[in-house]
Amino acid sequence: MERVKQPLIHITKRDPMPLWKGLCIRFGAVLIALVISAIFISASAPRQRGFFAFFGSLFSGAFGTERRFWLLLQNTALLLCVALALVVAFKMKFWNLGGNGQVLIGCLACAMCMYYLGGEWSDPLVCLLMFVASVAAGAVWAVIPAVFKAFFNTNESLFTLMMNYIAMYLVAYFIAVWYPNGTGAMPPLGDANLPTFGSGQAGRTLPIVLAAVIVTAFVFCYLRFSKHGFEVSLVGESRNTARYAGINVKKVIIRTLALSGATCGLVGFLLVGSVNHMVSTSMDGNMGFTGIMVAWMGKFDPLIMAGVALFINFLTRGMAQVNTDFGYTNSALSDIVVGLIYFFFIGCEFFIVYKVHFNFRKTTARSAPEFSTDDRPQGAGEQHIHEEESSPPVREQIAAAVTQDVLQDGPIGPDGSAPSEMAQQAVSTRKRKGKKEEN
Amino acid sequence: MEVFLSSAIQFGAIFLFGCVGEILTEKAGHLNLGIPGIMCMGAAGGCLGVRLTTMGESPNGVLVVLCGILFAMIFAGALGAVYAFLTVSLRTNQNVTGLVCTIFGAGFTSFFLNDVVCIADVTVASKLSFASLNFFKAQIPGIEALGWFGTIFLGHGPLIYLAIIIAVIVAVVLKRTKVGLNLRAIGENPATADAVGINVTGYKYTAVIIGAAIAGIGGLCYSLGYTSGNDSTVEVTIQIIGWLSIALVIFTMWRPAVAIGGSFVFGALYILYSYIGVASEFKSLLRLIPFGVTILVLIVTSIIGHRETQPPASLGLSYFREER
Repeated sequence: MERVKQPLIHITKRDPMPLWKGLCIRFGAVLIALVISAIFISASAPRQRGFFAFFGSLFSGAFGTERRFWLLLQNTALLLCVALALVVAFKMKFWNLGGNGQVLIGCLACAMCMYYLGGEWSDPLVCLLMFVASVAAGAVWAVIPAVFKAFFNTNESLFTLMMNYIAMYLVAYFIAVWYPNGTGAMPPLGDANLPTFGSGQAGRTLPIVLAAVIVTAFVFCYLRFSKHGFEVSLVGESRNTARYAGINVKKVIIRTLALSGATCGLVGFLLVGSVNHMVSTSMDGNMGFTGIMVAWMGKFDPLIMAGVALFINFLTRGMAQVNTDFGYTNSALSDIVVGLIYFFFIGCEFFIVYKVHFNFRKTTARSAPEFSTDDRPQGAGEQHIHEEESSPPVREQIAAAVTQDVLQDGPIGPDGSAPSEMAQQAVSTRKRKGKKEEN
Repeated sequence: MEVFLSSAIQFGAIFLFGCVGEILTEKAGHLNLGIPGIMCMGAAGGCLGVRLTTMGESPNGVLVVLCGILFAMIFAGALGAVYAFLTVSLRTNQNVTGLVCTIFGAGFTSFFLNDVVCIADVTVASKLSFASLNFFKAQIPGIEALGWFGTIFLGHGPLIYLAIIIAVIVAVVLKRTKVGLNLRAIGENPATADAVGINVTGYKYTAVIIGAAIAGIGGLCYSLGYTSGNDSTVEVTIQIIGWLSIALVIFTMWRPAVAIGGSFVFGALYILYSYIGVASEFKSLLRLIPFGVTILVLIVTSIIGHRETQPPASLGLSYFREER
């Protein structure tokens, strides 16, 4: 009797999972990543501390003193603003990887106002001008790629990335022009600082948190309730549908990116006007990339994203403390731990969307269709998008798959001919395998 | 002029590694934005390999170079394997996964080079720069006699020639062999390739990991073949190189053979700022050149929009067999 190899691992799509179950999987993944980092760090640290001291340091770094708590809140607010700016673009499936550059150019515009006008005009007027300049600069920085995306379908992710570096070198240029001492550093400017609520870190943090709350509320309502928000998600789902519905796709792309860039510019305004009072080439703090992770992990929902931003800043600030407590000199350790957590987090999505079945009996007789009954769990609400229920012979399966493919993609037209041409070539050069591999 | 062209070729080789690695990955339908991080990993691994082999009194040059390359490929391949596992098997979003690879790879490299390999340590730094100068930048003896021809074409270290050889091999494999045909079929339409009986998962894993390993040599090529291995913020520059390499893929229309020329052009653009005599503050403006040119290239290729210049059809899409 001829025997057919069944794949060991078989993957199907799940029904939507209840919320608590999904949350459990995600928390589990993050916890595993944290425990792995804790084991490595406590085992290899120059200064020996226990395994649990890792978590102690993590919390003390984030919440240890009042100042640390306010700093955590401030960084969270800034990161959340960047992430919200990016979400608006991501909803449209526009990969805005230029958050760093848009923040930085906002910083630069703000610093220019402070440098040239600070002290000469009255402070409130300069502050207003700083706000306008930053927001406009950020918007311009995002609109340039958007225009080319809208009209020529230029690759937006690389375009925005290059804009990051252009912003970076522009900042370097202006610092070199303003302070030609060769150090590339700029001292904090005294004039035209944004007002604070009282003294101390709390006073500096509160306006930023307030701005973040306003931005969050605005983006939430914009995406959820406004007509613009609907157009954004429609363009993201299908450009052709949007065009058919009478939406001016080009206009939507440019308008959305202007909003996205303007929000990043606002962050630049806050960073220079309220936090640092000067500009440096690394002032963006890589928030553009971290913001992407916040948006992605927060499922593009502004409220979940606030939690994720808090968690990521908790880790970053906590890791700084871990660094000192465990005797490391390099702050890049926190990037490693945060990167590890990202890996686990995005990896665990798989187990929420898909279900994995193991076929431990590797081969089954071809004549006896006993594939489906016993070794696969028959979950009640489970959805088998799957055609092997009765286990037809493998060759027929392949044939069926081919036919389906053709049906699915429609008849092979002149414009779709490239892939199929190549595949046909591949058919002729390759003998069909009599087995079916899975993953 | 000769020195400029020679340096352009040396810098271009770094782009060439990254670009060829990314082409191989993209041909399998995977847009790997983790190339900057993966190239960083290559630098980390390469420095470790070189440090291990230069411990003795008189290290063997061939062994040092081979060991550096091997470790660079292993480190970069490891991060590539993580990317492949996440995107091929777990079907995560490729852009996001790639960015995480970049964040992780850059952080890991900074930590690894400074705290594990200890490149700031005096003895290690002297060993590394010794290896860099004598092995990675070793020239064929007697090429000075050939004048400008020798300086431009023959006066480079072994890694530069390795880059060209790899590019040619990848070009031939992609264009002329059955394996390359299968790989291109997968990149265009994995479902059809699967129906034909091609092992889609296997091909994707292989292409992504080999692509990452090739890109990793690029990181080594920068840290030891261009600088002398004791730059403590090497990951910053390598990230820039990595992004430009990904852009170069579009410029070269997914053809490794074209990439050889393209990467030398980019190499020339990248180092141009240090060869033009202007006031120091204008240097940062000159450093904008490669990014500006990249943007121009992106725009021009998108306006032309020729069929030949299009990416593989299923680039960036996860393949799940049972989806319809």
